[in-house]
Amino acid sequence: MTAAQLTAEPVGEPLPRASFTARHRNALLGGLAVALFFAAWQAIFLILPLNPLFFTTPTQIAAGFVDLVESGDLLHDLAVSAVPFCLGLLAAAVIGVPLGVVMGWRVRIGYALDPVMTVFYASPLVALTPLLVIFFGVGLSGKAIIVFSLAVFPFIFNACAGVRAVDRLLINVVRSLGGRERDIYLKILVPSVLPYIVAGSRIAIGRALIGVLVGEFFAASEGIGYAISRFADIFAIDRMFACILTVMVIAVVLTEAIRWAERTAFPWRAAH
Amino acid sequence: MAGTEALDLDSSTITTGRFGTSALRQRIESIAIGTTAIVLLLVVWELVPHVLPMKSGTRLFFTVPSRIFDTLWEMLATGSIWSPLGVSAAAFAVGLALAIVVGLPLGILLGRSATLNAMFDPFITAFNATPRLVFLPLLMLWLGIGLWSKVAIVFLGALFPLLINTHEGVRNADKRLINVVRSFGAREWDVARLVVIPNALPFIVVGLRLAIGRAILGVVVAEFFGAQNGLGVVMVRAASSFQVDVVFAGLIVFAVLSLIMTGLVQLLEERMSRWRPQRAENE
Repeated sequence: MTAAQLTAEPVGEPLPRASFTARHRNALLGGLAVALFFAAWQAIFLILPLNPLFFTTPTQIAAGFVDLVESGDLLHDLAVSAVPFCLGLLAAAVIGVPLGVVMGWRVRIGYALDPVMTVFYASPLVALTPLLVIFFGVGLSGKAIIVFSLAVFPFIFNACAGVRAVDRLLINVVRSLGGRERDIYLKILVPSVLPYIVAGSRIAIGRALIGVLVGEFFAASEGIGYAISRFADIFAIDRMFACILTVMVIAVVLTEAIRWAERTAFPWRAAH
Repeated sequence: MAGTEALDLDSSTITTGRFGTSALRQRIESIAIGTTAIVLLLVVWELVPHVLPMKSGTRLFFTVPSRIFDTLWEMLATGSIWSPLGVSAAAFAVGLALAIVVGLPLGILLGRSATLNAMFDPFITAFNATPRLVFLPLLMLWLGIGLWSKVAIVFLGALFPLLINTHEGVRNADKRLINVVRSFGAREWDVARLVVIPNALPFIVVGLRLAIGRAILGVVVAEFFGAQNGLGVVMVRAASSFQVDVVFAGLIVFAVLSLIMTGLVQLLEERMSRWRPQRAENE
């Protein structure tokens, strides 16, 4: 075990002709584990007589998924949920990033807003959902505002941290070499703040998903969160699992896409 | 441009303390400005209903800080807050304890074994990316609407920050130190005791801080949708009967508890990482 771990470290030159299995070892092991997991899940019903009211098999989930896709319900629910998700997230970025930049830029504004923002960030704002639903209704605006209120803080804090981390030496270098204000913005500020904002958006996406689900669990008549809680209410476990797995796949795809963007666009930060 | 000048000045006072006691002065200034901002916010909020004309319908949904603190004080004085808070705290404590019991050993194991790590990785990535809330209806079906579905949500929320940070801390252990200890004849247990665990501790503490936040969120959310007792339940009931001040009072209680616990862990974190320059990854 430990030997494998030591050799797995990239020591010096990589071997020129590593075999296919060696090169894709991690992906293969991961795929194998997932396959084993679903096989075991399917097989457990052969051994244990589990109550089909509460438990279901991967094949039934797949059948439920096909049903949902063919009837168009799944796509409809996803589309309904996607609108407040995107609107809330967009508003969070548009408001959060400038606010964070100002907080990082002007020290006194930072002093003033830091404690307030920390209090908001620390308090479980989800708890305001019932009020927001009463204020704004169960439709699009209510959900979008819940998403916004959860997703705005990662943008604020990360933009602020990004501006504070700007290397002052670099600004002086650009100045000494005759750079103009524009150069300071484009060559120093944007490149050093952008990675922070992208990292913040990764966290914000997770929180925005929570926002959509909370809003839809709480009060909605359509949407993927509503679908999950409705299928649970009517004991349609297979379709509920199909929806849950869809949400999981979407969450993973979104998060990994941003990670990939971080690695490709800001390779100098990939080590972090 | 004025903006860039400000950036220049400001960052100079941040990075270098070249004005003698300016560090202390800055500290005092930051606390003073921060407190003023909060007080100002509360005052403005308090004055809103006096300044803005409001329809009686809107007034029903509106509350002011003084009413919220009155309500909070009343809840504390009559003791009506303790029993629901106790129910919530029990779910929080049990879920977090379970997450620690499972997360730490599993994190160490995955940090030491590349094979196991590769096998668990897809599951950890998937569960960590997905809001755990999505499992709530399922957990309510399986575990009922009592303590255990709440515990399960808290557990799922708190497990992954702990697991991932422990794993990161273990993997980050200095290979040379491990080799040195091994050359002196140490076994795997000694390696863990002497190198791996001390190295991972600051990471674990950061994980714990994130886990506490997630756990509190888990308690609140679980109580919103499927529970009979707890502070979250009190808040939902208050919201549906338009007792907005009770909702905010509950929010304050959760926020204060969260800040106190995170603050304590942060103190621990600073104490433990004082001797090392590197910092653990945050989220």
